[in-house]
Parts: sequence; structure tokens; C-alpha cells
Amino acid sequence: MNEERGPAPASDVAFLEVQRFLNREAALLDRRDYMAWFDLLTEDINYVVTARVSRPAESGPVDYAIVDEDTDTLRLRVLQIGDPRLTRAENPPTQTRRFVSNLEVEDADPPDDYVAHTNLLVYRQRGTAPDGDFYAGRRRDVLRRDGASLRIADRLVRLDHNVLFDGSLSVIL
Amino acid sequence: MDDIVRSAPNRPWVDAANGTVEREAFVGEDVFRLELDRIFHRLWIFVAHVSEIPGRGDYVVRTMGRVPVIAVRGSDGEVRVLLNSCRHRGTKLCRGEAGNARHFVCPYHGWSYAIDGGLITTSYDEHLPPDMDKADWGLVPAPRVEIYKGLVFAAWDPGVPPLPDYLGDIAWYLDALFWRTPEGMEVLAPPHRWRVRANWKIGALNFIGDSQHVRTTHAGPIALDKVRSERDGFYVQGGDSFQVVTDDGHGCTLTYLAPGMPERNYLTHPPGLRDAYADTLGPDRLAMLHHLRVMVGNVFPNFSFIESQVALGEKAVIVRQWQPLSGTEMEVLSWVLAEREAAAEYKDRALRHGFHNFGAAGVFEQDDLELWASATQASDNPIARRFPYSFHSSLPFDDAPIDNAKGPGRSYKPSNTEVAQFAFMQRWDAAMQG
Ligand code: FES
Ligand SMILES: [Fe+2]
Repeated sequence: MNEERGPAPASDVAFLEVQRFLNREAALLDRRDYMAWFDLLTEDINYVVTARVSRPAESGPVDYAIVDEDTDTLRLRVLQIGDPRLTRAENPPTQTRRFVSNLEVEDADPPDDYVAHTNLLVYRQRGTAPDGDFYAGRRRDVLRRDGASLRIADRLVRLDHNVLFDGSLSVIL
Repeated sequence: MDDIVRSAPNRPWVDAANGTVEREAFVGEDVFRLELDRIFHRLWIFVAHVSEIPGRGDYVVRTMGRVPVIAVRGSDGEVRVLLNSCRHRGTKLCRGEAGNARHFVCPYHGWSYAIDGGLITTSYDEHLPPDMDKADWGLVPAPRVEIYKGLVFAAWDPGVPPLPDYLGDIAWYLDALFWRTPEGMEVLAPPHRWRVRANWKIGALNFIGDSQHVRTTHAGPIALDKVRSERDGFYVQGGDSFQVVTDDGHGCTLTYLAPGMPERNYLTHPPGLRDAYADTLGPDRLAMLHHLRVMVGNVFPNFSFIESQVALGEKAVIVRQWQPLSGTEMEVLSWVLAEREAAAEYKDRALRHGFHNFGAAGVFEQDDLELWASATQASDNPIARRFPYSFHSSLPFDDAPIDNAKGPGRSYKPSNTEVAQFAFMQRWDAAMQG
């Protein structure tokens, strides 16, 4: 069940293209290759991460943004975490390993664009801490056709967390 | 180590003459238990902003020290702070973080309470002895609840002084952030919440006056901000700067614009609210705000605030709470506020930029947290505990407040000493002794 899901599942060819794209993107982020990652975004990227207020079921859940970036602020963020002289949280670098799964792809408008829904699980290891952390959530990306490749025009990561653990979120999801 | 721990509650941790503080104060579990007793379960603790619970039955769930509470607006419009624990067997009435209730019904055996806390029924009232007075069995209210400029505080010691007396001189500064237009401020979104394995006092010290950490901890955002602001033709240079300490151990650090900085570069108020500021604040505080670049401070024990320019044309007012979980871990809550009268579009930007810097993924926040956690971790061992922390850069200035202060309290220059931090520690030590 996905309330944002449109009516039009994309073709198998499109599905494979999107899957390849998202796998490649995930590998770039786990490698901390932020400059290459940034090239996968459109100029008008909108990057949002939400957390959740736990409320009684009758009142319905409330999501609220903990990250809401446009291209300018997102660039500042990755410049900071990508440069060892400019970050304390990411130097020594934290190690992430992300799992992007349960992919659903819909055709969007215009027809060469796609909306991709995925589950996201990111394991993050910080310093010498014996235990790592996990971020879990549902991701919705709007992927826009740009010649032979796709670009991310819009990313919404809805984390399943109320209270973030162990410091603040200093990696890209 | 055992000796140190056992004797901890009885010793002064702060050596005022020598400018040091025992590390035990920042890691000890005995110290933490005593803090709960003598500080968090006794003094005025921030609970909520009134705008979080605007309507009847609106509530938020918070913690005061270890005490879970519900801050709820009653059917009479009054804000109450109730122990979030059923009088029957202790179950939580509200198990989420926020909501709206017409009654609080306990999910365990069905005791039902009015939103003002009164017990309505136990579901088995016919089995109660005739002399049990239900009026005595309502949800336990915090004996003291007061609202200052939209900020709801509560205390579990009925004998605490009235909130305005407790705040003392810091109120003059709080007014400039929390009530500068006729309608006051509002919270723009639910608070960001995150845990960090650091002692709660590190946060309070960082906000009351830790100008020394900015250049090193935040080298990243400062360098990047400079690049961006030069590109945008917007660069705010800090000038005159000082610390303020009040008698009650509250304090703040203010940094003004450098002389000659074009005022247009700095947003003195949201568009259209200039007159509202002038009417509400009066000339002294208006002048202060008009030249202020950053104000950051702490109300003892764990309520912090910061207002700073976050982007061209935007200020954000941030409220912080350092909620202790143990001697070595805390939960941080962080709210962004703006003037109620400000345009919706202004509020959106203030919120976005406010948490870009200071939220759960803030570009400033992330670096602080990493270092606070490492400070607590490295201090939490018997060898490190033999060696106190240094607050020496307070000593040469402690007895020399400046004469030409711009507001109440004692003002100190330069602002990058540890006067305010050491005053906080002495206030803390005094609270812990008695
Ligand atoms: S614990 Fe609440 S009704 Fe029994
Ligand atoms: Fe900081």
C-alpha cells in the first residue's frame, strides 16, 4: 500500500534502468564520492528527509522535515562532509552500507520520467564504536530523463524514526 | 574510583579559586541522580511552547528529568502539566508524543480522567470503598506551572520562587527573542529530537558562552558560508561582542554587527514588522536587536536559545532543551520559532534554514555532537576522572564586569572567555550542595 503511488507501473525495461541507476547511486554514496553523486541530481533538486511524530492512531501520524535542501544548501552540505578539513562528524569518515530494495517504478509525466519507490536501510559505523546504527525508511524519487541517463529531480526519504540516535544525521540518505 | 564515586554527592565539584571542575560532574551516575533530585525534579524546567498546544485538549508529552509529563490545554483554556502515569498501576496515559484528547483513558484497566486531570471513573466505581474520595485520585499535577512570553515552565517543588523571579535579569534578553511583536512567537514544526552520548551540561555550557569553540569545531560551515555570502553579496561581520551573566546562573553571549556593516545585509525584523518590533520592545531592546548578529544563551538548567542570521534575509529563533538520560547520555529537543505575524513564506524559509544549521542533521550541529560525545566518552574512566576540566580563561575576568553594559546582568568582555560557562558551573554546584 503506498498512498503516493500512481496508477501506471512502468515497463520492465524502465524498471531495470531505474534499478541500475539506483544501485549505482547507492555505491557512489557508500564510496563517499559526493562530487560524482552531485552530478546525478538536477539543477532544481529538492532533497527532503522526514522524521515522524508518534501520535495515537486515531490522530494519524505526522511527518516533519529534518532536512529540506535545494541545490545550493545541498551543495554546501556535501562540500562540508566531503572535505576532511571541513568536517568533524565525518572525519574519520563514517562507513555506510546501504540497501535499496522493494523497488516500484511508475511512469511519470513527461513519459520518459519515472517515480521510484524503494525501501532504504543504511547501516552506519562511526569511529571505533562496537555497534553501528541503522537508518530505515521509505524513499520516493522523481527521476528525470536527461539524454541517455537519468537524474534525481526530487527525493523524499521518510524515516521510520521518531528520535534519531547517536548524534545527528551527517550522511546522505 | 569507588572512593571518588561514593563521596561524589558531598563534595564541591567546582574549584572557584582555581578555575577547575571535577570530571566526575560530567560522567558520574551518582552525580546524575543527585542532579535529578536537586535540579530537575525541583527547579523550573521548560516543558513546551504555548503554540504547540493551541486548542482545548491539545497535548504534548515531555520529560522533566526522569519524570514523564503531559502538557495539556484544559477545557478552561489553562495549560496544565500532569504526571503521565495512571494513579492505579502507573501505566502511561499518553504513549505517543502529541495529540488531542477529550479524556485521558488508561488503556490498562480503564481509569478515565478529564483533561484537567480529575478522575472521572475507575470503571469499577461500585467496588470502591465509600470513603475513597475520587478527588484525591486525579492525575498528579505539577504543583507549579507558569508561562513566560509563551514559554511554559513547570516545577515539582511547590516552594520555587515565581518564574519571573527565577528568570531574573535574563528575562530582558528572552523578551527580545520570544515576545517582540504583539502576537508573540510560534513554533513552526514539531521539535527535532535526537540522542547523543554526552553529558547534558556540555550543551548548556556550549550555548551559554562558548565562543572559543566556533572557529575550530565549525571550521566547515564557517568557511563555506563565507564563500556563499561573498558570492551573494551578503556578508555579515561580527563586531562588538560580550557575555552576560545573571545572578541566577543564566547567561548569554551577544555579538553585534561590525561598525559600518550595511544594515541591509542584516535582517533586523521580518518584512513589515518594523513598527511592531518598535511598539512591543521599546527603544533599548529595539536598538539591541537592530545591531545584533547572534544571541545565544542558556536558562539554568537546560533551556537554551539562539538567534542568528541563517541566510540572506532570514533569522531563525531556535529553542534547545538538553534532556538528561543518564550521566553520559542526553536527548536533545530543538524547535524553530518565528513571529506569528510573519508571512507564511518567511516562516517556511526560517524553518528550513534554521534546521539546516541547527536541526537533527544540522551542518553546525553534527560537528558539535561528535565532539561532545567524544568528550564524555574519554572522561568516563577512573584515570581521566583524576584530572579536572579547565575553566581557567574565566579567572582573569570574573571580577571585572564592564561598566557600559547595554542591558541588565553583569556584562563581560571579551566574549571569548569562559566567564559565563564558569558561572553556570558555580550555579550548578550551589544547586547540588543544597
Ligand atoms: S493502570 Fe491505569 S487503569 Fe490500571
Ligand atoms: Fe557549536
